[in-house]
Amino acid sequence: MTDATTSTQTVTTTAALPPSDSDVPPGTEDRRPTARPRGRQVRAKVGSVLKHAGLIAFGFVMLYPLLWMVASSFKPNALIFREPGLIPTDIDLSNYTDGWNALLHPFSHYLINSAIIVLGSVLGNLLSCSLAAYAFARLEFKGKRLWFAVMLMSIMLPIHVVIVPQYVLFSQLEWINTFLPLIVPKLLATDAFFIFLMVQFFRGIPRELDEAATLDGANHLRIYLQLMLPLSMPALATTAIFTFIWTWNDFFSQLIFLTRPEMYTVPIALRTFVDSTGNSSWGSLFAMSIVSLIPVFIAFLFGQKYLVKGIATTGIK
Amino acid sequence: MSTTGNGLRTRRGKRLAASAAGIAAMALTLAACGGGDSGIGGGGGDDEPVAAAEECPCEIRFSWWGSDSRHESTQQIIDAFEAENPDITVVPDFTDWDGYWDKLATSVAAGDTPDVITQEERYISDYSTKNVLADLASLDIDTSKIDEGVLAGGQIEGAQYGIPTGINAYALVADPEIFADADVELPDDTTWTWEDYVTTANAISEGAGDGVWGTQDYGFNEAGLNVMARQRGETLFTPEGELGVSEETVADFFQVSLDLMEGGGQPDAARTVEYQAAGPEGGLLGTNQGAMGVWWTNQLGALTDSSGHELELLRLPGESEGERTGMYYKPAMFYSISADTEYPESSAKFVDFLLNSEEAAKIMLTDRGLPANTEVRESILGDLSPTDQKVADFMADIEDEIVDTPPVPPHGSAELADIMERVNTEVLFERITPDEAATQLIEEVNAAIAD
Amino acid sequence: MSVIQELSRSKRSVSPRRKGDGRWALFFLAPWFVGLALITAGPMGASLYLSFTDYDLLSAPEWVGFENYTRMFDDPRFVNSIGVTFTYVFVSVPLQLAAALGLALLLDKGMRGLALYRSVYYLPSLLGGSVAIAILWRQIFGADGLVNQVLALFGVQGQGWVSHPDYALGTLMALNVWTFGAPMVIFLAGLRQIPQMYYEAASIDGASKFRQFRSVTLPLLTPIIFFNLVLQLIEAFQSFTRAFVVSGGNGGPSDSTLLYTLYLYLKGFGSLDMGYASAMAWFLLLIIGGMTVVNFLASKYWVFYDD
Repeated sequence: MTDATTSTQTVTTTAALPPSDSDVPPGTEDRRPTARPRGRQVRAKVGSVLKHAGLIAFGFVMLYPLLWMVASSFKPNALIFREPGLIPTDIDLSNYTDGWNALLHPFSHYLINSAIIVLGSVLGNLLSCSLAAYAFARLEFKGKRLWFAVMLMSIMLPIHVVIVPQYVLFSQLEWINTFLPLIVPKLLATDAFFIFLMVQFFRGIPRELDEAATLDGANHLRIYLQLMLPLSMPALATTAIFTFIWTWNDFFSQLIFLTRPEMYTVPIALRTFVDSTGNSSWGSLFAMSIVSLIPVFIAFLFGQKYLVKGIATTGIK
Repeated sequence: MSTTGNGLRTRRGKRLAASAAGIAAMALTLAACGGGDSGIGGGGGDDEPVAAAEECPCEIRFSWWGSDSRHESTQQIIDAFEAENPDITVVPDFTDWDGYWDKLATSVAAGDTPDVITQEERYISDYSTKNVLADLASLDIDTSKIDEGVLAGGQIEGAQYGIPTGINAYALVADPEIFADADVELPDDTTWTWEDYVTTANAISEGAGDGVWGTQDYGFNEAGLNVMARQRGETLFTPEGELGVSEETVADFFQVSLDLMEGGGQPDAARTVEYQAAGPEGGLLGTNQGAMGVWWTNQLGALTDSSGHELELLRLPGESEGERTGMYYKPAMFYSISADTEYPESSAKFVDFLLNSEEAAKIMLTDRGLPANTEVRESILGDLSPTDQKVADFMADIEDEIVDTPPVPPHGSAELADIMERVNTEVLFERITPDEAATQLIEEVNAAIAD
Repeated sequence: MSVIQELSRSKRSVSPRRKGDGRWALFFLAPWFVGLALITAGPMGASLYLSFTDYDLLSAPEWVGFENYTRMFDDPRFVNSIGVTFTYVFVSVPLQLAAALGLALLLDKGMRGLALYRSVYYLPSLLGGSVAIAILWRQIFGADGLVNQVLALFGVQGQGWVSHPDYALGTLMALNVWTFGAPMVIFLAGLRQIPQMYYEAASIDGASKFRQFRSVTLPLLTPIIFFNLVLQLIEAFQSFTRAFVVSGGNGGPSDSTLLYTLYLYLKGFGSLDMGYASAMAWFLLLIIGGMTVVNFLASKYWVFYDD
């Protein structure tokens, strides 16, 4: 492996190209410069068709439950369980309109609340976790291994036993029923998952790069800002995507820390469609679940573009 | 209960803590760990509600569980109350059933208890024995229109910790259309026995063809066991808070399930567990795959809607078979008031409004059970949907047959539901015999309610 | 970009690794230290303390020493939950990681419709712990579900998988594998992180595609494989939401899906025995911690770091 690292480091033409988000980023498409003979081409084509067929079939299996949910969201409440087939007999949009207005506030209210928390959390995690990760990945300091262990330990305790002390703490700070208990911890890098994630990615960046930068007089802040962050786009994108999705879906802490209906978020709102002791609006639940999937899905589509902007496309070859 | 703990929980104390920065709060929490009992500790402790005169305008928090329709109607009731009492603001605090108890326990632990709390029989003993709830008899709430027996459902050791919101009954729901399809007569519910129940269900499965069964298993819910026990002169829990049901009765209770499964009257074990998990909408009645099922009367609406059939309420089997009748009115929920509330009078005023106001009742209808206040109940009869009307008629029909209301289940009985479900599943999959199930159930329940 | 350009101009030499970046470390770790001190440590400490008490959330905790810890091993449901959890973790985590890695490699590059496939495969993971999952899962593994409909085509009579004590855990593991999206994305990101120069060097040396995979992709991906392994283990041991939702909250049928954390939750919030729940949590921390230490020790033999 080490002989590979000593190979050429040049700025190639791809650096001048805009980072691509298409399926086949230019410059990375063809690793084998020689053209294939025709027979192999045909075989490759057949192989590719088979591959796609397999991937599509697999995709259907993956998606079946979601398709069922979409289908059910167009059925009247009473028919969801009586006629559980995939194709609704008649399309009924009332679950969407009813569900949207069923709670004290229109559903958009909860979407906005969730969006605020998600935005704060994403920014917080990106900043605070990457800072901490840089320290663990690149700096030598006393007790590094111990602190690293402490960091990992902090995600090994189930939330159910820390939520009560947390509630006491936040209620002493008068933070209950605000978004602060949900956002401030992210600004303080309490999501150790992402620190560890970024440590792993930072360590994957050749150390020669920052050593060279150090020789050029760059300090750690500059290396962090101008070298590590740009070269870790996949890790940052992963962090952003996951923070988005997990915060968006996080039910328990939002339930506990937000007490007033005007502060409620999407997961709490969704739960209120179903009550195991009384009447449930399954149709509305499915409809609003789909509505609430849209933002996360868009976030994922958007975020995954950045997954391809790794070291491979930023110019180092 | 330490005084520092209570000090922290007052609003002034909180503000103080907040004004000191995060580090101070941290220290307080840690002090809580070291000291043994402050900060973290619990809301109980003060037996008396704060006696100082209330200064309003004030704000009280009302917590309840439920789904969207209840949240909407409750908000309307709150609006009506606020219109009458402009100096009291009621802050809603609601969520679904499971989340509700997590949230309530957490807020009580942090001394942040809601002022008016909705309670249920599974937990009311836990909360009242830990002094979280106030004795409502000492507050100005009019309970004169509530039946004594029903009211007793919220009393523990002579104190009124909760006032029933309304009543439900555990009843047999039947689908006459499927009875007709199977060419089986609807039973006479005043005389039928448990054996009749089994033969009827088996006959329906036989007559209705593939994919349709006589009945859905009843063994997951302790209410059925309670009814059977009461018919035999026993009771699930005694007023002293002990288990009052014999092993023999428990074994017989599970035997009925097994007989039904063997005779084809109910589906195989795996299906039964699945239908049980699917709630009223996805169960046998809701999906037109079964003719009978045992449900709470307030679930008739959901069952009727999802089945699309006219369903009927019947008495449980065995009411004339044993020593006495076993059916009873169950308090649907209770209204309780925090023992720690700063505003006991305003909270009492609100509870009084919920119980006794016709205006509130006309909005709530039967959402929290058929109203416990009999006068108010009369006044809304005309507004009820046909299904609710059916429930009201049924409840009136059985009124004279009901002997008494079961005592409040003891501290720790919240686990009973899970124990029932587990033991019943073991029986259905024939991993244990009904006799073994009886021993196991009694052992586990005794462990749960032992302090 | 400027640093990189400067870099490429500068002559590379290996500088001696500097020791003691204490001040810089303090700077970079400042937010984390503050968070640790203010938000993480307190509640963790509190839960440790509570694990030595009898605490019902409603009244003050009472010191009971090690009673909660000794009580655990006489509790058949606790012992059962450990068995369930170990089965769940050691079957579903490898499967999930294999699926994630396989598809990440397949979906890495050089194919049409990649973004679409990736998104489709990720979609199930977006659902999180939605209550709808329970219903959806019944549509697949229920008595009349998709699986049985397919089996019926082959004349096989299936049964209610999701509600049978022997198979329910299997469906839960299937659910976990189904949501392989998260590790897949991390693998994808990791693949993108591998500098192109390695591949070029390898192909100049005439390495076949398979050899490139074995000697470039795989070693350089090991830090990410390691990360996924460590984190998925930690997460799987704490799995809660799905088991909660699918089993209707009680780990049924008949405790067959009673994962450790679900039991802990039922004890803490259902039975109001938070002291016991806290003790369970700290015992779990010991298990996970031990597992992680082993993982880190073993990593020396197979994880390749470029630094």
